Amino acid sequence: MSEVLTTEDQLLANFEGWLNQRFEASSSLRAIKEAGAENFKKLGLPSRKSEAYKYTPITKVIEKNFDLDIAESPSDLTKSDCEAKFYQDADANHLVFINGVFVEDYSKIISASSELTIKVLDDQAINEHVELKSNLGQVNGSQVDPFAALNLAYFNQGVFIKAEKNTDNKNTYIYQFIDGSKQTVLFPRVFVYGAAGSRTTVYEKTFISGEENSLNISIVESMVEANAEVRFTKLQNYTNKAYAIEGVYAHQDKDSRFYTNTFSFKGAVVRNNVYINIDAENCEGHMNGLYQLSGKTHVDTNTSVDHLKPHSYSNELYKGILDENSRGVFNGKIYVRPDAQKTNAFQSNNNILLTDTATINTKPQLEIWADDVQCSHGCTTGQMDEEAIFYLRSRGIEKTNAKALLLNAFANEALNELQNDLVKEEIEGIILNKLK
Amino acid sequence: MLKIDNLHASVEGKEILKGINLEVKAGEVHAIMGPNGSGKSTLASVLAGREEYEIEEGSVTYQGKDLLELAPEERAHAGVFLAFQYPVEIPGVSTTNFLKTAVNQTREARGLKSLDAVSFLKVMKEKMKLVDIDQALLSRALNEGFSGGEKKRNEIFQMAMLEPTLSILDETDSGLDIDALKIVADGVNKLKSPDNATIVVTHYQRLLDYIVPDYVHVLYQGRIVKSGDKSLAHELEDKGYDWIKEEVAAL
Repeated sequence: MSEVLTTEDQLLANFEGWLNQRFEASSSLRAIKEAGAENFKKLGLPSRKSEAYKYTPITKVIEKNFDLDIAESPSDLTKSDCEAKFYQDADANHLVFINGVFVEDYSKIISASSELTIKVLDDQAINEHVELKSNLGQVNGSQVDPFAALNLAYFNQGVFIKAEKNTDNKNTYIYQFIDGSKQTVLFPRVFVYGAAGSRTTVYEKTFISGEENSLNISIVESMVEANAEVRFTKLQNYTNKAYAIEGVYAHQDKDSRFYTNTFSFKGAVVRNNVYINIDAENCEGHMNGLYQLSGKTHVDTNTSVDHLKPHSYSNELYKGILDENSRGVFNGKIYVRPDAQKTNAFQSNNNILLTDTATINTKPQLEIWADDVQCSHGCTTGQMDEEAIFYLRSRGIEKTNAKALLLNAFANEALNELQNDLVKEEIEGIILNKLK
Repeated sequence: MLKIDNLHASVEGKEILKGINLEVKAGEVHAIMGPNGSGKSTLASVLAGREEYEIEEGSVTYQGKDLLELAPEERAHAGVFLAFQYPVEIPGVSTTNFLKTAVNQTREARGLKSLDAVSFLKVMKEKMKLVDIDQALLSRALNEGFSGGEKKRNEIFQMAMLEPTLSILDETDSGLDIDALKIVADGVNKLKSPDNATIVVTHYQRLLDYIVPDYVHVLYQGRIVKSGDKSLAHELEDKGYDWIKEEVAAL
């Protein structure tokens, strides 16, 4: 009688061997990774009834499209291949990941380590940085998502970015290169630590080559100390062979600011988990996003802002434009805990469906235990405003241009917190191109 | 310039215009008056090309062309302008940017060179004076959060920028106080020339003190039931619309 392996078992089948090859028995990271695997086993993959993955049957998607053989795949990408894709920003750090592994040799780091430490997230980094060791895999609920746990088990050489106290830092760009010439499952991991009074800005962009399916299970953790600011922006313009489950987890200390932007344009199935913990007073948390989809692309956005202490502010704005057979899912939670009096929390999700076959499932969720707060949430879904189109046409603007003008204005609101002109121009270009 | 012949139009199966005949020549100002629900705004909308109206019968010839065959933007390119009764608020698009696109697409369609940023601004400055509109208003999102008067003034400003041959003002006076009304009317009068024509659609005679019509038509139950000169407007102001209704009923 042959034993039927569960998908969880298959994913962990080679884990021991994989671990033994890379980590000594005494390694600190090894213990963390073993705990990650244990946690993954305990959590299990989301079932059909999972509330968190209700509209994205992620387990089925993985079973159907991947043979679940976890092994790092080598790639022929050269340093100059990677450099050719860098943003033209000389006064910045450019970090290269290939198939989920940070490649320091291919990266260009110009920040002084007295200001911004950028190093491989490995045993050495763990041993040298207690703030990393004590928080890795622990930031704000990343323990409760099975994919975050799986990433913790399997990530190999992530990147640790630490802004030292009171430093105002250069931009850091992270380029994720996914070589899909072979089917691949990858586990990039980024830890951004903003020490008190510092400012850090990170942009992430992904390049996918090859014809095979890729599954990107990516985790970003960020600790934002008192009066620090961290900004993290993601550009997801994938291919229809690209599957991704990506988490951004942030924890904010007092007087801090955290901004995250997510721009999704293409992919097969993309799930974004964005969770901010506001665990102190006088913080600002901002989440902005745009999903502008076509074809059969499916993008599921799951967010949460948890206000634990009084006098903080959060603002969340997600915009969706859904064309052809694409599907968007938005679930935004705001928690205002009993202690979090005088919280101001705002959320809005607006969607435009361009065809009868595009769909959106949107669900804002507010849970408020404090009584002296200002909170609002709202979601709208509709077609394009025919009256507005007619108005523009009656002024001589051709129909397709009128639509593009309106949709572009609609989408651009999601770019309000994006400060980088290079990235902004690129995103505006993608938006306009998709409207043609 | 414009010849409307036995025009019938309906919306959602309900016939609103039941045989309109009207001829407008260059240099003329026509006022179309009538009680609420008589079809005034429908006529304006049909002329501008609003798509929800079904043309059942009749024709509209504009400068020798079949107007009803043209898309709304083509009508604009041909020189037809509708000042909306309820100008639409467009978030995220500034009036300046919107007008630059509109003016240049119209110029291109007319075989003229597009205006560069500098010459566009120059033209804009001139026309701003005409309707006494503020620069700050134009950098804001189009009509968003504008007062009623600001919206209407913005309509006339757009009209000035697009230099139409046939302007249709749909209830431009509704909701305006007397000062705003004067500014709007003043703008319209300054734009008048022997080569262009204006159709003023209004419920009240008040506007016609400032934009003096050559002809006044009364629209009732989808037909023009009476035409005359500006004295007809005064008669309507004094006596209301009931006597018109009675006359029609007696027929």
